[in-house]
Amino acid sequence: MSSVVTRVVARMLLAPILVVAIAILVKGFTDVGDGFSAGVVAALGILLQYVTLGREEVERTLPVRLLPHAAFVALLGALAVALVPLLRGDPILTHYPPAGAEVTTVGKLELMTAVAFDAAVFVLVLGAVVGIVHAVARAYEEMETT
Amino acid sequence: MRTWAPPAALLATAGAGFVALLWLWLAGGGEINVPWAPTLDLRLHLRLDGLAAMYALMATGVAVPVFLFAWRYLPHHLAEQGRSVREQPRFYALLGLFMVSMVGLALAQDLILLFLFWDLTAVASYLLIAYDRDDPEARRAALMALLVTAITAVALLIGTLLLYDRYGTFSLPELFRVAESSTTVTVAAALIALAALAKSAQVPFHFWLGRAMAAPTPVSAYLHSAAMVAAGVLLIGRVYPLLERSPVLLDALVVAGFASMLVGGVLALSRDDLKQVLAYSTFSQYGYVVFLYGLGGESGVGAAAFYVVTHAVAKCALFLTAGAVTRATGAQRLSELGGLGRRMPVVAAGSLACAATVASLPLTVGFFADELLFKAALERGWVFAAMALLIAVLTLAYMARFWTGLFLGAPRTEAGPVPAAMVAPVGALGAICLIAGLVPAPFAAIAQDAATPSLLAAVPVEARYYLDLRAENLLALATFALGALVYAAHRAVPAAAAAVARLGERLGPERAYTAGLAALNGLSDRVHDLEVRDFRGRVTAIFLPSGVLFALAFVLTPTLGAYAVGSFSLGDLPLVLMLGFAGAVAVAATRPRGHLTMVLTLGTVGFALAVVYALLGAPNVALVAVLVETIVALLFIGVLSLIPREVLRSQMRATRERRGTRFRDPAVGLVAGATVFVLVWGGLSRTGGEGDAAGRLTELAPEAHADNVVTAILADLRALDTLGEITVVAVALLGVTKLLRRGRLW
Repeated sequence: MSSVVTRVVARMLLAPILVVAIAILVKGFTDVGDGFSAGVVAALGILLQYVTLGREEVERTLPVRLLPHAAFVALLGALAVALVPLLRGDPILTHYPPAGAEVTTVGKLELMTAVAFDAAVFVLVLGAVVGIVHAVARAYEEMETT
Repeated sequence: MRTWAPPAALLATAGAGFVALLWLWLAGGGEINVPWAPTLDLRLHLRLDGLAAMYALMATGVAVPVFLFAWRYLPHHLAEQGRSVREQPRFYALLGLFMVSMVGLALAQDLILLFLFWDLTAVASYLLIAYDRDDPEARRAALMALLVTAITAVALLIGTLLLYDRYGTFSLPELFRVAESSTTVTVAAALIALAALAKSAQVPFHFWLGRAMAAPTPVSAYLHSAAMVAAGVLLIGRVYPLLERSPVLLDALVVAGFASMLVGGVLALSRDDLKQVLAYSTFSQYGYVVFLYGLGGESGVGAAAFYVVTHAVAKCALFLTAGAVTRATGAQRLSELGGLGRRMPVVAAGSLACAATVASLPLTVGFFADELLFKAALERGWVFAAMALLIAVLTLAYMARFWTGLFLGAPRTEAGPVPAAMVAPVGALGAICLIAGLVPAPFAAIAQDAATPSLLAAVPVEARYYLDLRAENLLALATFALGALVYAAHRAVPAAAAAVARLGERLGPERAYTAGLAALNGLSDRVHDLEVRDFRGRVTAIFLPSGVLFALAFVLTPTLGAYAVGSFSLGDLPLVLMLGFAGAVAVAATRPRGHLTMVLTLGTVGFALAVVYALLGAPNVALVAVLVETIVALLFIGVLSLIPREVLRSQMRATRERRGTRFRDPAVGLVAGATVFVLVWGGLSRTGGEGDAAGRLTELAPEAHADNVVTAILADLRALDTLGEITVVAVALLGVTKLLRRGRLW
């Protein structure tokens, strides 16, 4: 187990890392970043907790167990974004608002379906990495006990 | 879920489908014709014409007794194999899929749509035949059915594309209008007919049908009477206007049909297993249909349609009879059975009517089928009439052997009770055969309607008794007399037939199939061994061929001006140094070391490249590179921690000590690296101009409301690729959980 300082610093770093991840996601269309990078950053933040605090404590204190399931929900969400245009007679993955139209912005966030798609990528990558980390950690523990 | 819910739902669907189709047919048919993928000229074109009505009504109508039977049969069947009743819904879902794909196939008027349903029936039948998945025989049979029908389905696809290439349409009505007698049409029609013959299990593809008997009884009954096998002759009927344009093809159909009738009849006489007898009988009966289509003309096509309906009703009941008998006695061989007539009077009576129908005795609807057969054969000449007579005699003989073997003579086994739901379908179908023997008008009407789309003209199909000495009646009388003779000699005949069957097994097409499959398997194993002996081997297997192929492509394409050398200024020095560093680390990575060191070395290459991206002014790519390198290195270490240290060490030693690897791996890396280098160089030499996809995407970014080109590409311009990639990520998660956690996500 790591030293107290490492543990405290790791704890304190989680919130800023997640804020950075969200920022990368939100600013994706106007600045550097996208859903994939944001997902990896957030996943690294959680991985840091796993490495310093140990699996059991992380899973007791953080709602990470929902993330792998969320990955599949996100995949469905991405599929929905892809397929909804079909109902309106457009080709799949047509994004709204269309080219040339005004986009409502909240700060740097543009409200459009492409961003929703990117958000789905974010959740999926985050969920997949956390799921893999969890699986590896559990497998390691099982190996240790036997 | 309650166990009665799935079969009840399916029964209701089949019944409702039957009634709806019947009502629609009587109301004059219906049509759906909407564009499906207009850019590919694909249309969702379904039409309920006579032919479609006949097969769709068969598929739904025969489904009712089959599902009813399965309801009682399946729990018992599963219990016998020690399987859970919870496996039932899967069975009904597959049967439902089978039925729906069959109805779709009957209605399809577009060749691609037809092909789709065609393969769907193959898939459904594969899963159904292999329903007893613990039985290797069933799995082998399922694979055989799938391979034989799906590989030949490619012939159907090729024929379709040939026609499309020539006439620019997949629509059958359109094709019938424009196609003339030409080699293209002949070849295309021949390919389509080949697929149809394989599906209907005609010689030389007949072997799969006999094996498919490994399926549960309801599946066999359905597959043989109204679904899979019927699909073949349905296709022949559907594309008949194309077949008709070349007499050679029709003659080929006559030959194939006759050969199938003969082989099927002889094999049916020789078999001891109940279901095998019926299987070969089916194959022989569809031979009749193919023969009749080959004879052609109004009487031939009309008779073919009539034959299909009568056979569907009768054969379904016979399979269910076999199932009920086996359920009652536990035996499934003719030699073990006998004298069941008193024990199972309803089944005996029902199956007597149906066996008589197949054997074409008067007072059953089958009689008219043979009358029509003789009429069509006589129109072509006495040789064909003689063929028809020979086959009719064989049919009568094996049907007599089947029924008397089961129900007459001394009882040889104990017979337990059989649920009413398994008996009633047999009785009901038998009753239909008898009633239609007295009032054949409905059968004649549907056959008449079904022949119309094949000939593109209305055809009279007459079914009635003529009490005079016309040639058909004489032939029928001759059939009864000769059939009785053959049956009387039935101790000798099966022996002779068995000898023929053994000869066929020794030299027949099944051997070719088995040998071909074994050879393919061997080849695949060898390639597999070569490729996946170890991880390095697998990488080599990908890198080396692709490197060689790319190198060939470079040698063969003109290189003049393709490789530009740019200018170099002092400001580029950091970039060059960083690239040099990355290259050096990459070279270092080829030396075998500890696994952890290798992971970190490769990570270093990635980080160096990330710096290169940053220097080139691509912060987005650099960010992704850094993140990916970090997470991959960490996950790598995590996975390495799962492998015992001794294993890692011994692996390392083995790699180091294997002869040749010392130079092989760097050489492979060099070839692949050099090729990629040339490839990238060539690509970078062509920036600007019309081949500049990157430039075009950059111009499009503002239209996607994006300042960040990379994100615009990922989420908008190339979002379909991204969708595919994130699906891969999700699948990777599933794979990891399956490997490490037996599929538990948490």
